[in-house]
Amino acid sequence: MGTQTTLTLKNYGVSYGTDKGPLKVLDAINLHIGKGEVLGLVGESGSGKSTLALAIMRALRGRVAHETGQILLGDVALHSLQGPALNRIRGKRIAMVFQDPGGSLNPTLTLGEHFRQTLARHRQLNPSEIRQETDRLLKMVDLPDTQTMALKYPHEVSGGEKQRAVIALAFACDPELILFDEPTSALDATTAVTILDLFRDLQKRTGVSALFISHDLGVVREIAHRVAVIYAGRIAEVAENRQLFAQPRHPYTRSLLASLPKAATDGEQTPLISIPGSLPDRTVAIPGCNFAERCQFATDPCRRGPIELAQDFGHAVACPYWQTVLYQAIGSDENSQMGVRLEISEPPLLSLNNLSVHISRPDLFARLMGRQPKVIHAVNDVDLDLHGGETLGLVGESGCGKSSLAKALVGLRPFLGHLELDGQPIPSVAQMDSSYRQKVQIIFQNPDLSLNPRQSIGTILSRPLKLYPGQDTGAMDDKINRLLQRVNLPPEFATRYPHELSGGEKQRVAIARALAAKPDLIICDEITSGLDASVQASIVNLLRDVQRATGVAYLFITHDLNLLRHIADRVAVMYLGEIVEIRPAHKIGLPPYQPYTEALLSSAPVLDPGLEPRRIRLQGAPASRLGAAKGCPFESRCPRRIDDICLSERPPRIHFDRGHWIQCHLDQRSLRSVPPIWTATPTSLNND
Amino acid sequence: MCISIGVFNMTDFMSRLLRQPHGVVGLILLVVLAIEVILGPALAPYDPETFHYSSRLVGPTPEFLLGTDQFGRDILSRLLWGARTTVLLSLFATLIGAGIGGAIGILSGYLGGRIDEVIMRLVDALMAIPSLLFALLIITVLGPSGTNAVVAIGIAFSPGMARIARSVTLSVRTSDYVAAAVARGESPLWIMSREIAPNMLAPVIIEATIRVAFAIMLLATLSFLGLGSQPPAPEWGLMISEARAFMFRNAWTIVWPGLSIAMVAITFNLLGDALRDALNPKND
Repeated sequence: MGTQTTLTLKNYGVSYGTDKGPLKVLDAINLHIGKGEVLGLVGESGSGKSTLALAIMRALRGRVAHETGQILLGDVALHSLQGPALNRIRGKRIAMVFQDPGGSLNPTLTLGEHFRQTLARHRQLNPSEIRQETDRLLKMVDLPDTQTMALKYPHEVSGGEKQRAVIALAFACDPELILFDEPTSALDATTAVTILDLFRDLQKRTGVSALFISHDLGVVREIAHRVAVIYAGRIAEVAENRQLFAQPRHPYTRSLLASLPKAATDGEQTPLISIPGSLPDRTVAIPGCNFAERCQFATDPCRRGPIELAQDFGHAVACPYWQTVLYQAIGSDENSQMGVRLEISEPPLLSLNNLSVHISRPDLFARLMGRQPKVIHAVNDVDLDLHGGETLGLVGESGCGKSSLAKALVGLRPFLGHLELDGQPIPSVAQMDSSYRQKVQIIFQNPDLSLNPRQSIGTILSRPLKLYPGQDTGAMDDKINRLLQRVNLPPEFATRYPHELSGGEKQRVAIARALAAKPDLIICDEITSGLDASVQASIVNLLRDVQRATGVAYLFITHDLNLLRHIADRVAVMYLGEIVEIRPAHKIGLPPYQPYTEALLSSAPVLDPGLEPRRIRLQGAPASRLGAAKGCPFESRCPRRIDDICLSERPPRIHFDRGHWIQCHLDQRSLRSVPPIWTATPTSLNND
Repeated sequence: MCISIGVFNMTDFMSRLLRQPHGVVGLILLVVLAIEVILGPALAPYDPETFHYSSRLVGPTPEFLLGTDQFGRDILSRLLWGARTTVLLSLFATLIGAGIGGAIGILSGYLGGRIDEVIMRLVDALMAIPSLLFALLIITVLGPSGTNAVVAIGIAFSPGMARIARSVTLSVRTSDYVAAAVARGESPLWIMSREIAPNMLAPVIIEATIRVAFAIMLLATLSFLGLGSQPPAPEWGLMISEARAFMFRNAWTIVWPGLSIAMVAITFNLLGDALRDALNPKND
């Protein structure tokens, strides 16, 4: 990190015009990025972090009401540039990598054509130079078979490969600064880590500066030299990477860290800590600290302000009182105690035996041509027992069939095999009667899609109450109020519509709707994936409270292994439609692991500076799911593949301690002999 | 079928509509039209069917503001009286079209599979026939009259409406809230009427407003051909048809009803455009 700065933001602020008046999206931002430095910018949704990237790119969308301050690239004043002068800088001196690689590549152009246009535009190369340069760039990002790769269209390559191509494009003109806007959020964890590895390596080699924006502290910890934390349009804290994670100072940073699920080798389940309240209204001026309303330490002077970002040996904090509260633990009163788990009933509540879900699209044309329709084997021969009152975590990457399984269990997809509820066999979807549907409820990932926008919350909650009246009598309004109360929402929400609620509130309504049926089992399909960490924490805590009060069982589907440590009793790991391992959740960090579980654990972000993960990286993409695999589904990517036995024979199930089995050809001894995925380093600093 | 557009906040919606210039113009024209429809007969200076033999085919004069036709009937009075039949009938025709088409579209989109395939191929076949020919075909069966013309236009509109309703239904159907309703065991009728219908209403309403203009023109055409309203009804299309032979002696007999039809068409077109923008939540 040199002394020169690549990018400087001086007192930068921007407001969007809205119906209620100007909305201050960014307020007095002072940041700089040194030459060869990667600055991580972390914030929750709505914090203004993407606006900052767009402001630097001079591509502000929406109705900008007014802009203040300066943005300097080297000594060029970006904020006053326009037209051709700006176009000479964009793409050449500043490059940008967006979240969705599919959206940032033109689907009608080959990858090579993307490079040709950029190189011809900014570097004026001739065709043969362009070919060489494209080849070099594609090699640089470790894409295989560069000649043919350049001829492919974006839809012909995987998401990870697309993002590699986008990164290569960003490096094409040797820029001074690259802006990353959540570049790994749309990718699977095992793919995301390889992209991060790649960028870290390229950054070292080229010495480019970067602004790395993410909501994920774990990702930023992996990649950034310095980290800035942004809250509601203001910078809360800036510090060196190690310093920030070892000793966060701003109460917001500390709360955010406390709300994240953590990796750990062993130990008891700990509650996640949620941040109460929501983002402040930024159409009115906030004289004091904008986090004051949600801060457990806030006093009167905090609200009066003014609050400045004060430097202290390179660690800047926008909180004058951080020292006085540093040793007071973060925690909110609504936290649930972990307490004793409920007794788990013995005969399983739900029992799956050889359950498969095959998806085929009836294709009239194919049938007329006498061809067999393509069948996707989404779920293959799953055996699973779920007991009353327990939480089974189901973890796997996108496309592994976990959602198909969830849909089959609530009768949204036809299934093959045996399904029993309370010992009652359910041979097919048609036999799922109203009592089954009452007992098994589902909550979907995105509450924007799962709540009908044209129905009031009261109407939404009244439907299951009418369909499954149960024993309790009383007025409908009372029942709705009780449900809202159960999920910590005020009764006046009954008359509101979904679009008037925040994401977390909407998901609470979805939970209330599931609870209205008084179910025995709730299937939670990635219900916290779209939410901010602090909201996720409160939803997870709510689910635990509900379980303690009602004894409901959960099938908790997620892609976040760390989160399962905080909610699940047992964890099932799914890969390509098969369950490859089931293990107790509290020992999730300890060997033996199925090789896929091991890779998944290794890709999970680690926040504790005292833990160092063992690096396991997967190559390639999952195998095709057209047709059932004969051998192990993970065979094509497995780092511990033995030989052709993995391809040709179905691996046996190896049983370890109570309730822990692994499906693998490796023997007990070699599975047990791997070291744990995380090792504690002695510099461990505990922060709260 | 109980359809509510509950989520609309009326003042909010109006402010969004009025933010666009064509929304403002459309609304003003609509108010003018509404006055014509409601108060038309009261405002008319003469009876629409009274002959003024002494002043036939005169141009605009202080006595007859817009002139008279071949029988000496006051054109202004006929237009004001005719607004009711012309505008209301075309609105009614569109409603029939949207109702039948919407219902078919939801049913087809919701049921899917082979039933959807059969219904949509039938709709395709019907859409291959131009609306006017189709309406003529229906009138040949039902016999010429104003009411039958409305029914005919309504039926002729339904395939197009069904197609739009179906395509919106297909996307709404994949929403998780529909999946949630299926999973909790709601009846298909509830799902179609309460979960899907309110969410596919906006595009159908927009299409309908644009279709009102077509309906007016179709109705006018049918009347012009003598298959819609029958003389001496002061229907605008019929007025043009009757005056055709005299257009060289007094062009006003054609110009005024023609302008009136054009105005209604423009009103609903502008309103349709403005509605499309105002109902699109992405424009917030």
